Parts: sequence; structure tokens; C-alpha cells
Amino acid sequence: MTASLFLEMVINGLISGSIYALVGSGIALVYGTTRVLNFAHGELLMIAGYLVLFFAVTLGWNVILASVVTLALVGGIGAAIQRVTIAPLLAREDWAFRVIAATIGLSILLQSGAQIVWGEQFRTLPYFFDGVVSLGGLRMPVQRLSILVIALALMGLCALVLYRTGLGRIVRATAQDAEAALAVGIPAGLVHTSVFAISAVLAGAGAILLSPILTVNPWMGVSFLLKGFAVVILGGLGSFGGAVAAGFLLGLIEAASVTVLPTEWRDVVAFTFLIAVIWVRPNGLFAGREA
Amino acid sequence: MIEVLGRRPALTLSVCVALFLLISVLPVNDYVLHILTLSLIFAMFASGWNLTLGILGLKTLGHHAFFAIGAYLSAIVAFYGGVSPWLTIWAGAALAALAGLLIGLPILRIRSMPHVAIVTLAFAEIVRLIFSNLKDITRGELGFWGIPPFDPVSFGETTIRFGLGNAWGSYVLAGAFFFAVQAGLLLLLRSRPGMTFAAIRDSEAAAESLGINLSTWKLAAFALSAGIVGLSGAIYAHYVMILTPTSVAGPEMLITLLAIIIVGGAGRFFGPLYGALLLTGSLELLREFGEYRMLLYGALVIGFVFAAPHGIAGLRIGRLRRRDRRGTRERSSAA
Repeated sequence: MTASLFLEMVINGLISGSIYALVGSGIALVYGTTRVLNFAHGELLMIAGYLVLFFAVTLGWNVILASVVTLALVGGIGAAIQRVTIAPLLAREDWAFRVIAATIGLSILLQSGAQIVWGEQFRTLPYFFDGVVSLGGLRMPVQRLSILVIALALMGLCALVLYRTGLGRIVRATAQDAEAALAVGIPAGLVHTSVFAISAVLAGAGAILLSPILTVNPWMGVSFLLKGFAVVILGGLGSFGGAVAAGFLLGLIEAASVTVLPTEWRDVVAFTFLIAVIWVRPNGLFAGREA
Repeated sequence: MIEVLGRRPALTLSVCVALFLLISVLPVNDYVLHILTLSLIFAMFASGWNLTLGILGLKTLGHHAFFAIGAYLSAIVAFYGGVSPWLTIWAGAALAALAGLLIGLPILRIRSMPHVAIVTLAFAEIVRLIFSNLKDITRGELGFWGIPPFDPVSFGETTIRFGLGNAWGSYVLAGAFFFAVQAGLLLLLRSRPGMTFAAIRDSEAAAESLGINLSTWKLAAFALSAGIVGLSGAIYAHYVMILTPTSVAGPEMLITLLAIIIVGGAGRFFGPLYGALLLTGSLELLREFGEYRMLLYGALVIGFVFAAPHGIAGLRIGRLRRRDRRGTRERSSAA
């Protein structure tokens, strides 16, 4: 393998890994704080994809304005999902499985709803950024590189808020013990809802970054949900940093597998890796501090 | 156990068998028989899955993988090897049970439910991708067609034929398999293994302290459950005679079966049968609104999780209990 091919493999792995990290860290944040596994997380991606398409293409808004409005709306939708379908179930017995079942139902509902509203046509956004970067014989469109840069910046911002601000301390306190947090005056219910909103914004950002290079369709969330779950488990369930690291690792593994095997085996390699890791290390690769 | 089986489960099962036999002698049209056949096959799938999901309390989400393994292996051996489906279905069920053991091993080490759910789901995705990628054998998403139906059986003058287009024979066959499996499960659940499963579901630590070997029991339950699901997959393959990886192991299969179990009643012995009859039946009525089908399933799952978490089977028990309580109150006030 030549140096430029190797470099291309690494960069491609980091780019898809950054999306997995965005989706996975959102799931990890929610699980770490509320112990809830949201199977409708992928549909937040899909909704964000359609929203940004609507604002940027149908209404012809500026891309940045369209993205900001999309993220705000998706955050609101995430919060609404938590308030309406998840929070009421938490008080009941066997809630963990009920939440899984209800969110699987919600996920299918949103998918077929999107299919009825927008039809089955697959649509793509125009590139946000023009130009190509040349790196020692390797040509990479700025659009693809921007995914990596923006995703890293967003996750960095999240980590900064989580570990260096008072707001982050409130979230982490609720994660450790919601009842004790309530006792010292933290509105735990509100924290749970806002964590959902943050994770929805992370997923929405992933969708916006992807929409110019992938197609927006009712099922676009499904594969990212599974990858996001894999990342969360690999990183140690509920660990924000672990999920980010595992996201990049999974991206790199997939990129490496494509150089050896045909593309259609890529996901088989990724999920087999997941099961192998669980077999050896049930707590994940980077079991560490919780979100 | 009464919560799982309901009152007089053997009587309920006998009534179901009687109804089934009654329908088989009535002049019912082929289309209705086709729907009932599919319901019975899915009810068998659901009762296999219910064993781990509801009765043992292991929240696995990847049982459509075992359905696909049973269906494809039986179809491949029958199609390429020319072996009779009467034999190949057992190979399909055995391989599914083996796969159940294989995926059961890593799961044993995990007590956290999210891990179990995600690992089994990932396993199902691997299985779907493998069948879809082995295009030389399965033709991938183009569909594996030409799967032979069960060989006809002759009793003296009459010959019973099976497969799509032979509605009566297929209905009787699906029913025979379904009720045989149900009778076996009922015997199992009413004896020691049933008690053990209930003990494990209620408290793993307490069960272990009573000398129950959790690993052995869980693995056995997993293999049995996967085997039943694999058998239902194999019967399905030789009934519809065409398979695609997405139709047997895709997300639609997951949501359909999840809806059947939740609407029927997770952890209830008769839940899968009620759920399969209701959902497969109502689905056919709504055939014209095809695109709303999954919308309806999603809404049903959410609705039942909120309003009736123990499904239809749970509703009946709730009513019986209330009547009982009223009965005792009346008796005590009279005395």
C-alpha cells in the first residue's frame, strides 16, 4: 500500500468515525444520565436531514441559518420525545424494556410517517464548501474534511461544557444519582430533558454534515443508530469520551476492512468486532468515568 | 406460573385445537386459510422468542436472525441437495439452536439489558448481511426462489399437498407444528424447567442462591428458543417458497414480531397466538392502506406499552382477578 493510499484510508476512517462519534456520544450522554436507550435516536438524524433540506433547498436560505434553525428544532423535537414518550414510562415497573419497545415503535412510526409525507425519493443537498485540498498526491474535497473538523469542534465543545462548567457538574451529578441531585436542589427532570435535547442536536449536526454527501431518505437513521449503539458499547456504556474514541476506532476499522474485503462486508466486520469485544471485555474497551 | 400460563392452560389449548380443527373441516375460502397459516407460523416464531424475552426475562432483540437461519439453511439444503423438506427443516432448526448457543455465550457474561439488546440486534444484522452477500448461493436481495414445498403425503386414496396454492394442506401442517410446539412448551413450563425460568426472571441472585446454575439454564433456554424460531423459519420458507434477506431478517420482521408479542402479551403463554391472529388478520384487512401498515404497527406498540403493557392475554387475567376479588368481597359480606 502506498503512503497516499494509506493516508486516504486513515482520513476516510476518521471522517466516517467522526459521524459515528457524534451519534454515539449523544446516545452515551443520554444513557449515562438517564439509563435510557433511545431507539428513535436515528430518526432524529433523518428529521434533521429533511429539515435542513427544506430550509436550505426548498426555501433557499443561507446554509448557516438553515443549520442553526434545524439544530434548534431538532433539539426541541428530542426534548419533546423525552417528555411525551419516555418520561411517563420511567415511573413504571420494568421500565427499561418498555422504553426500548416504545422507542422502537416510535422509530418505525417516524420512518413510515416520513415515507408518507416525503415519499421515497432520495435527495441530496448541494456542497456547502467548494474546493479540494491536495496533500502529497492525495486530493480530498473540503466538504469531506469539514465533517471531521466541525464534528471534533462540536464534541470538544460538549466535553468542555460537561467537564469544565457548572452546568456540566449539574448534569454529571444527576447522572451519578438523580434522587440525591434532586435533594440538593437540582431539577433532575429538567436535566434529563435537556440532555435529550443536547443528544438530538449532536445527531442533527451529524445529519447536516452528511446530507451533501449522502442522500436524505426515511431510513437514513437506521444504519447510524446501529453503529451508534455499537460505538456506545465499545466505549463503555454511558461514557462520553469512550464513545468518541470508539467512534473513531470503528471508523478506522471499517476503512481498513474496505481495503481488504468487498464493501458489502464492511458492516459485517464492524458488528463482528463489536461481538468479539463484548466476549472478551464485557465493559467495553474504554470503561472509565461516566458522562 | 398462573401469571404466565393463565388459568387451565391445557383447557385453553384444547379449545384452540378444537377451533383449529373445526375451521379445517368448514368450507373456508383459501385466502382466509392463507392468513391463518401465516398467523400460525408467526405465532410459533413469537412463542419461541417469548421464551427468552418474556418468560426468562432476557431482553433479546435479534431473534429474526434465527428465523432467517432456519429458513435459509432448510431452503438451501432442500434446493441444492434435493433433500426432502421434511428432513431439512430439522437441520434448519438445529443450526438456529446452535447459533443461539453461540450468541448466548457472550450474553451470559452480561447482566445489563442494553448490552443484551444491542449485541443480539447486531448479530441479526450480521446474519442478514451474510445471506444478502452470499449472492452465489442465495441470489441476495433478488430473492431465493424455487424452494421446494413439503412433499405430498398420501393416506390411501387422498393426497395432501403443501406449499403456497395448496391452502388447506398448508394450514393443517402449520397448525400441527404450532400445536405440537405449544403442547411441548406447556409440558416444559408446568414442570421443573418452567419454575426455574420463573425463578430466574424474578431474581437471578435468589435463583442462583437456590443452586440453579444460571449459565446452563440460560444457555438451554436460549438454544431452545432459537431452535423453535428456526423451525418456524424453515416452515415459512417451504410455505412461501421465496426468501429475501430483508423480508426474513430486516427491521420490518423485528417490528412485526415485537408488535405481535407486545400486543398479545409478553411473558404470557398464549400472548403470541392472540397477537399473531389479531395483527396478521387486521393487517390483511388493511391491505389497501399498505403504506400505513408500519405506521399502524409502530402506533400499536407505543399504545400497548402505555395502556396495556401485558397485552391482550394480560387484559383477560386482569378482568378475572377483579371478578375474583369482587366475588370474595360479596361472599365475605354475605357471611
